[in-house]
Amino acid sequence: MSGEVTERSATSTVRSPVVSSFGTVSKVWLGHLGVLLVAGLGAWAYQLQQGLVVTGMRNVFSWGLYIMLFVMFVGLSAGGLIISSAPKFFHSDRYEGFARLGVLVSLACIIVAGLLILPDIGRPERLYQFFTSPDFRSPMVWDFGIVVLYGVLNVWYLWLLTRRDLAARGSRLAFGAEDTQAGRERDRTLLFWTAAVALPTAVMLHSVTGWIFATQVGRGDWFSPLVAPVFIAKALVSGLGLLLVVSILADRYTGFDADRDELTSLGKMLGIFLAFHVVYLLAAERLPHAWADHFGFWAITSEFLIGDSIYFWLWTGVGGAVPLVLLATPQLRKRLSVIFVAGVLAVFGTLFEGIRLVFTGYESVNIDAAPGISLGGEYAGVTTDIWATTGVYTPTVIELVVTAGIVAVGALIVTVGLRYVPLQRQTEQERYAADSGGGGCD
Amino acid sequence: MTNYGLVIDQERCIGCHSCAMSCKQENNVPMGQAWNRVLTVGGDHIDTPEGSYPEDGDDGTLEMSYQPTACQHCENAPCVKVCPVNATYKREDGIVEIDYDKCIGCRYCMAACPYNARVFNWDEPQHRPEEGTGDVEERPQGVVEKCTFCSHRVEEGLDPACVVNCPADARIFGDLDDDGSTVSKYVAEYDTNRLLDEKGTDPKTYYIQGEMSPGRPWKGKELESELDEQPTPEEADDPDSEESMRRATADAVWGDD
Ligand code: SF4
Ligand code: SF4
Ligand code: SF4
Repeated sequence: MSGEVTERSATSTVRSPVVSSFGTVSKVWLGHLGVLLVAGLGAWAYQLQQGLVVTGMRNVFSWGLYIMLFVMFVGLSAGGLIISSAPKFFHSDRYEGFARLGVLVSLACIIVAGLLILPDIGRPERLYQFFTSPDFRSPMVWDFGIVVLYGVLNVWYLWLLTRRDLAARGSRLAFGAEDTQAGRERDRTLLFWTAAVALPTAVMLHSVTGWIFATQVGRGDWFSPLVAPVFIAKALVSGLGLLLVVSILADRYTGFDADRDELTSLGKMLGIFLAFHVVYLLAAERLPHAWADHFGFWAITSEFLIGDSIYFWLWTGVGGAVPLVLLATPQLRKRLSVIFVAGVLAVFGTLFEGIRLVFTGYESVNIDAAPGISLGGEYAGVTTDIWATTGVYTPTVIELVVTAGIVAVGALIVTVGLRYVPLQRQTEQERYAADSGGGGCD
Repeated sequence: MTNYGLVIDQERCIGCHSCAMSCKQENNVPMGQAWNRVLTVGGDHIDTPEGSYPEDGDDGTLEMSYQPTACQHCENAPCVKVCPVNATYKREDGIVEIDYDKCIGCRYCMAACPYNARVFNWDEPQHRPEEGTGDVEERPQGVVEKCTFCSHRVEEGLDPACVVNCPADARIFGDLDDDGSTVSKYVAEYDTNRLLDEKGTDPKTYYIQGEMSPGRPWKGKELESELDEQPTPEEADDPDSEESMRRATADAVWGDD
């Protein structure tokens, strides 16, 4: 094989990890994540022993923070995979510099999403039932399948993108793949086909997650055919927002080098996604109801324009209108800080979109005659008896700590990835990796 | 085939909560949970009517009725369709039941049930007395539970506990597939409605409104299909018959003594 290596052209490019070693800052950062992880595990153990009674969920409001954030992280996992696979599918090198980091972030997010389901389950030790006794009518079974498939696809994709560079660096992570010209050529074809599978898988992932809610006749606004398309739009917005945020942070704090022009162009794309999601789809969802419910022109208009809950405003205002304006203003949208803030706000907005969705399902009940529904335990928040005619929910500290621990897992994956996976932007190199005398990274 | 259903005569129901209590007792339902609850259709609170008092010579508009509510045993049950592991399933006889050994506690079924008929064991279930009550084993922490149409009794030829214990005979249980059964006859004869019919869940619990039915026309705890002779409403207590008038008076006198 060494013969092939020396035959490669002089413009061959080999990438390296963007963090060459863990310095003090990285170690402190990793230490913090470790603490969060351990605290999360402890809180989950406590919850397993006491029961879900230590959460803010009760019989009326029976899904809470875990599911709200599951929805959010499924959405966040879209960005990287789409930004890296869409250009590949069209044989373009556009946004190439973000592809690997993007897939790494996607992978971390889908793992976080999957893990968030665990603490929501009352008897996690019985999860094997998904394999031994699945009901294929259940959207949850579809979602389970697609989340696993998507996770595996991300691992495969990231490895495919980096295996030749890993091999060039002598990393064991190459798992026997070799850095050859022919191998790199073959990977191009494989990448095209992987992209061709990844795009529809991503569409399915977000649609199926939407259908978990959209198929339910008993939960108010959930039962809407628009939920699946909205989930896709939401995934584009939040996924791209997160990718921008992570790229800018990596550019600032690690050796990762984000191309300014491409960042600006991705920022513009985020603006377009935001406009489609928060302006168009929302209007399309609200207008028919406002029209049907009201008679006068102004009554229709105000019902259509004026939102309902605080979550609605946090989503559409802080997480929608503000970043949209930032990204639409030509003088502003070229600045890194503005793109960063817009990305953060877009992610923030979709967090509240998920929260709002769950609230619209549980806040009011279909049959609300007194005394109502038994709550099934002393409510940890603010109410007195066992009966309720509306759903109330505030997450408890336990839920927050468990969640933080799981999100820390995602951050750990990204951090370790920055250290060991060759994510560096394309840099022209003079020599072949193999000639340099084995410059392995680890 | 058998297809069990329940008819609740809201005109007969007196809002005594006996069905709710006997359900809790019979099925060992944990503290803080209710499988069956008697809702007041009226004002904002339990036992309060809606409308206004007859004042200043006006006609009053006060109105109130009771709606006992438990699992409706839907034909097109969303809870069955969402359960990822087949823990919630529909039996041959139409009863929607949960396999408590299978349930993973994901609570998707609670999201799916439009009637909020399901409860989840958020912690280790507590019972009073501690050893529990009734004839059903307690369910563990972390699973969902709900009304089973008292399948353990039905299998032994007995009517559900709430049906037997209704002092107003307002609850009638039976086979909807048998045209001769009392439930089938009442569904055909009386004005019945089903809760949230528009959701398309096709519930098998029917509520009689308007004209009062003769109720459950037999005494004892057997299922109708176990009776030697089919009961007919005529044989039952006709509230207007002389015989039952006499008995009612006697009861009242006896009660006063
Ligand atoms: S009432 Fe609810 S729990 Fe009962 S069968 Fe219908 S959907 Fe299922
Ligand atoms: S909570 Fe149990 S019964 Fe309900 S859907 Fe999940 S596994 Fe099925
Ligand atoms: S049928 Fe049995 S389980 Fe259902 S409400 Fe009546 S007593 Fe309770």
